[in-house]
Amino acid sequence: MVKLVFLGKLRGLAREDAEVALPADVGTLAELKDWIARRDPDLGSAMAATQVQYVVNQCVVRDFSLPIAQNDEIAFLPPMSGG
Amino acid sequence: MQVRLTSQPFDPQREEAAFVAGRAQMGALVSFVGLCRDNNEGVAVRQLHIDHYAGFTEKEIARLAQDVAARFACPDILVVHRVGDIAPGEAIVLVAALSHHRANAFDAVRVLMDYLKTDAPLWKKETGAKGAQWIEPRAEDRARRAEAEGKSP
Repeated sequence: MVKLVFLGKLRGLAREDAEVALPADVGTLAELKDWIARRDPDLGSAMAATQVQYVVNQCVVRDFSLPIAQNDEIAFLPPMSGG
Repeated sequence: MQVRLTSQPFDPQREEAAFVAGRAQMGALVSFVGLCRDNNEGVAVRQLHIDHYAGFTEKEIARLAQDVAARFACPDILVVHRVGDIAPGEAIVLVAALSHHRANAFDAVRVLMDYLKTDAPLWKKETGAKGAQWIEPRAEDRARRAEAEGKSP
């Protein structure tokens, strides 16, 4: 199982089930992104239409070939607006 | 360095007073308070909601504050930021910098605010006359962020 966390405008579009079992052919962040888009086209288009930052286990990741491990927490961060 | 997120309204003056207590060696305190407006460019805003990523948001704001404190030689910086639902008139953010002299404290607060607008893992949603909409940094915010990058004491 991995935990998916969607923030900001992506949160409202994502399904409620945050803990998911990934199929065997989803082993990297790039594959995860494609899998989300297939499973949930609205969320997939929202993610494609904006700049999304990936955070794995609370660290920013820029290499999409990074393998996903069991119990990883993977967060999807759209552009930020604090202050 | 003190960074706190809160889902409850806070009193900026009380926060500031606690921050400066016992710091008589410091000659300057500069602070900025961001308030929730009741309109966005003339369109009524009833409520602001700020989403955050627990743990990561605090860590990232602390990293930005530490970077600014080191750059502008400020011995201490305080950031209090609201999350959750916020009503017009309430304080959203307080940034305060303590320094030996005023110039560094002014710069530190301005630059840290510019960073928070674009780099703090927070997401604002306004609900008002036009329904609900998520806010993204404006071109002006990004320009200020770029300018802040080059600013040194």
